[in-house]
Amino acid sequence: MPAKRTVGAAISAGLAAFLLSAAFSAGWGAADSATPADGETWWSPGGGREFPPSLSYADERGIITTLNLKGPTDTRGHPFFSPLGTNGRACISCHQPADGMSLSARDIQARWQATNGKDPVFAAIDGSNCPSLPQDQRASHSLLLERGTFRVARPWPPVDADGKKIVPQFDIDVVRDPTGCNTSAVYGLHGKNPAVSVFRRPRPATNLKYLTAVGFVFEPKNGFPLPIDPESGQRMSGNLLADSRAGTLKLQLLDAMRTHLETEGNLDPEQIQRILDFEAQLYTAQSVDYVGGKLDDGGAHGGPETLALSKPGVLKSSKDIQWVEYSPWAAPATASPVSATTNTASAPTTPAGSDAQRLFRESVARGAAIFRERTFLISDSSGLNSMNFGNPTRDSCNFCHNMTRTGMDVAPGQVDLGTTNEPFADSAPDLPLFKLTCHAGETPHPFLGAVIYTHDPGFALTTGRCVDIGKITMQSMRGLAARAPYFSNGSARTLRDVIEFYNRRYNIALTEQEKQDLTNLMSVL
Amino acid sequence: MTIRRGFGTMSVRGTVLFSLAAALCYAADPPAPKPVSFIACPVYRDTNQGRKSGCWVADDHESGARYDIGGGRAKPQIGHEVLVEGVVANSPDVCGGTVLAPVYTAVLETRCPAVMLPPENYPGRAFQVSAKSVLPPMDVERPLPPPPYESQQWVIQFNFQSDFLLYQYSEVILDTAARYIKASGAKRILVTGYAATKDMHVSGRTLSEPSALAKTRAASVAEALRRLGVDPRLMHVSWRKDPEPIASNDGLEEPSKRRVTIRAEM
Repeated sequence: MPAKRTVGAAISAGLAAFLLSAAFSAGWGAADSATPADGETWWSPGGGREFPPSLSYADERGIITTLNLKGPTDTRGHPFFSPLGTNGRACISCHQPADGMSLSARDIQARWQATNGKDPVFAAIDGSNCPSLPQDQRASHSLLLERGTFRVARPWPPVDADGKKIVPQFDIDVVRDPTGCNTSAVYGLHGKNPAVSVFRRPRPATNLKYLTAVGFVFEPKNGFPLPIDPESGQRMSGNLLADSRAGTLKLQLLDAMRTHLETEGNLDPEQIQRILDFEAQLYTAQSVDYVGGKLDDGGAHGGPETLALSKPGVLKSSKDIQWVEYSPWAAPATASPVSATTNTASAPTTPAGSDAQRLFRESVARGAAIFRERTFLISDSSGLNSMNFGNPTRDSCNFCHNMTRTGMDVAPGQVDLGTTNEPFADSAPDLPLFKLTCHAGETPHPFLGAVIYTHDPGFALTTGRCVDIGKITMQSMRGLAARAPYFSNGSARTLRDVIEFYNRRYNIALTEQEKQDLTNLMSVL
Repeated sequence: MTIRRGFGTMSVRGTVLFSLAAALCYAADPPAPKPVSFIACPVYRDTNQGRKSGCWVADDHESGARYDIGGGRAKPQIGHEVLVEGVVANSPDVCGGTVLAPVYTAVLETRCPAVMLPPENYPGRAFQVSAKSVLPPMDVERPLPPPPYESQQWVIQFNFQSDFLLYQYSEVILDTAARYIKASGAKRILVTGYAATKDMHVSGRTLSEPSALAKTRAASVAEALRRLGVDPRLMHVSWRKDPEPIASNDGLEEPSKRRVTIRAEM
């Protein structure tokens, strides 16, 4: 029984289907775009469906579209769509086109309901809070169902790219272990294969040229030139995975196969290449907003086509400003800001040219300008304030989210925003809490000292360094409306929550209008 | 032999010509400004002239003077004491302190109150970075330096008690050196790290760098060169303590001891 799209608590599957059909009948869909006629959204491994050149789904704010540049793709026997491991999962399990090639908590919950928790996405290894828990109970999968997070077990101590053990600069104690996995005799820190279990959102398997792009040779946060992949001879961007444990898409793929798919043995080179090739031809972005209309209308260049055509790794500049795609929607200079309608399901198909549409578009353009120009004091963020910018330093969102088109960091984006480290992290009694104690003589965390409490040590689980505790690699800002919740630990349930976190964290003092404008901007990326 | 320090290059002959010209312009050289050094708790003044625009000021307890210390390669951090080494400059006071330029500021481990001030009518200054301090993107075609090639030396300075390769400074020198080494086919690359292990007395305290820092500085530079394509088999990495200061044009000798030299031999 395929899962049906349910667009938020207030929207039924029927309404979602209506919204999508209304949008397409209004001419909002791409000419060759396809959408499942029966509202089926979930792609099961081995389902055999054809992946068309363009695939669109209704989401909370409009329509998400994925372009498959060399499509259509016959998925029968294709390794991206085939269960290659022992748990029945394929890549597609956690990279669903309806969810911007990631996975939303909403669709995870729908899948639980549709399959009574039997879908491979709930596999014990990482789709449950811990494999040792009773797998038939919903509570055992609460972190996946509520936060959209999968268990990631990192070996401790960490190993480097050559498999050698790294001598860490800190000790880890488990303070709180609601999942039981970190204190488990089998899976825990003191088990046969010592590991730290953290819980993270899956990242979108799309727009990948932007993740691997290298704009500049040097990584300013550690001062060194970026390392070179010995296999390809190319520099590695450092922008893959929350803790940057894999430097290339191939290494990421092999890591995912071993851990998430539980494959036995190695994939053959042809299978690896087919997956890499398929991923490389996907571009995903929001294409329609229910209030704002088509996102490439009115002079704007939103939607996935711009992503497919643009050069990756470009640093924003006065010539190529961030989110220039939406500059044509700016209000005339003489107009004063008027509160725009926040996109909600209650205003599904706003007529083209209406005041509501115009106001929404102006709000998006204002949000882009705030993103670029509204400066605030950035403080106590390891990776930023720990290099020579000083603490604090005044800058805007654009400071870190500086790559055009996706808002990623042209330099690798490992920064401790405080999403996982106390005291800045939101309360999270459902997540494990670790106490990390930096060894005497080692350089402590620059702002949190030698003893740090964290839900996820992040990049430090890869490097073993105190300065990296809580650093999480920035991710693409595209397709956000289709893949809530946000941040690596799913701590922001909505886009508005993301804005509120930043506003609280850096004391930005955003006005209600500014919050709404930024939320609207993020909803159309 | 040409010595390159940072971005400037000056031969002996050039120095003589420059000095003669200077003598013709001035009947008597003005007295060289006296370097100042002190330890203080830095204060951030939130003058908002856009991105990266805030002021940093700090008081020298011995003289009672308040200095503008924000012009260095590395900015301070509130809540941490800072070692300040600078020269008084004849620049307008826009931050609420006498301007030090050049100035070196190094964040110390010792804590102090985290203090921020409002602008208080001080305008501050907009952030500026020299184009010479920034590497172009990777996709910008750049020809390698043309012949003739001769032995060259480059100097990279470090913050006090740090082996961190400073952004918008070190990478340009490293890139320049690596490209010259590759273009020239240099036979031998000497990478020598230094640490200022001799005691330095500042603000009633005795400071020095650990000798191990000389090794880690050299290792950092060698690793950076390796990642830039310099053959590690050509590199001879060594380290020394208690170096002599190098002649410099910024009037500050002590910071010049915290360095790594890269010498390419033909």
